[in-house]
Amino acid sequence: MPSLQFSSLAEFLQMGGVYTFHIWAVYLLFAIFIGYNLMQPRMARRHFIREQKRRASRDAELASKSRENINS
Amino acid sequence: MWLWFSKLGSPRWFYELSNKWLPWLYVAMMVLMSVGLLWALLFVPEDYQQGQTIRIMYVHVPVASISLACFPLMAVAGTITLVWKMKLADMVAKSVAPIGAWFTGLALASGAIWGDQIWGTWWAWDARLTSLLIQFFLFIGVIALRSAIESQDAAAKACAILAIVGAINVPIIKYSVEWWNTLHQPASDFSMDPVAPNPPEVWVPLLIMISAVYVFFVIALILRTRNEILQRERRSQWVIDLVSREKSV
Repeated sequence: MPSLQFSSLAEFLQMGGVYTFHIWAVYLLFAIFIGYNLMQPRMARRHFIREQKRRASRDAELASKSRENINS
Repeated sequence: MWLWFSKLGSPRWFYELSNKWLPWLYVAMMVLMSVGLLWALLFVPEDYQQGQTIRIMYVHVPVASISLACFPLMAVAGTITLVWKMKLADMVAKSVAPIGAWFTGLALASGAIWGDQIWGTWWAWDARLTSLLIQFFLFIGVIALRSAIESQDAAAKACAILAIVGAINVPIIKYSVEWWNTLHQPASDFSMDPVAPNPPEVWVPLLIMISAVYVFFVIALILRTRNEILQRERRSQWVIDLVSREKSV
């Protein structure tokens, strides 16, 4: 059965003391990597929807204007 | 069979199917990632040689091994694009390139950080490291090539060819540690023996992390492919309806 390797939070954050920076740097990069690759497509999708909505409303406006011109 | 094949090639069908898959994939990723990370960070015993830095392995190995799957996937998608002109295959090929670049970049970065500790150097022109660096540049090359060619069809063909040719590098990366005896260690064997150098308490969490990162890769790929589908099909009625159903953001 695996057992907990650290007896306190401070000890856990220290990671043995010698290579604290190395270990946490790798996990930080991993977090950035996961976060970016999940968030970037969401932002891109939101941008796309916003853009398409703007285009649709502009097209509708142009269509109603041209109808007015024909009627007058 | 052919009906299934042409259905699979339909971007709309893929988009709607992925709506059903994504929630399950998110759940699977959260569970695997939490178990894998907690186990790797808290429960894996110190290595007798490297001490706590063994924990770097649980990021480096999954990311590096999956980075090797990206290029073959892009080559297969490229072949399908060239032979059957399936649109969806090219969308997948386009979406996997930046993800592959991220995976390869992180594999190199985490490897350098680990190398500084176990080898005493951030970088060496070792066979494994050099061939992986070439893969990184190949991904950048594919992305640049696509953005440089204006015609979508021509870009798809050019990228497919580069992906197929570039895939030759993958077996070189994979076997570099056996063909050339340089700095990077060969892959370790999994052993059931609890006193072996690589006992289950070390590799079981590694397998969990590999599956977690695999599920993450699939999610990232689906998300990007869905955006590509919307972009390319933006003039078709189903995307117009989908946009009008979305709330304003």
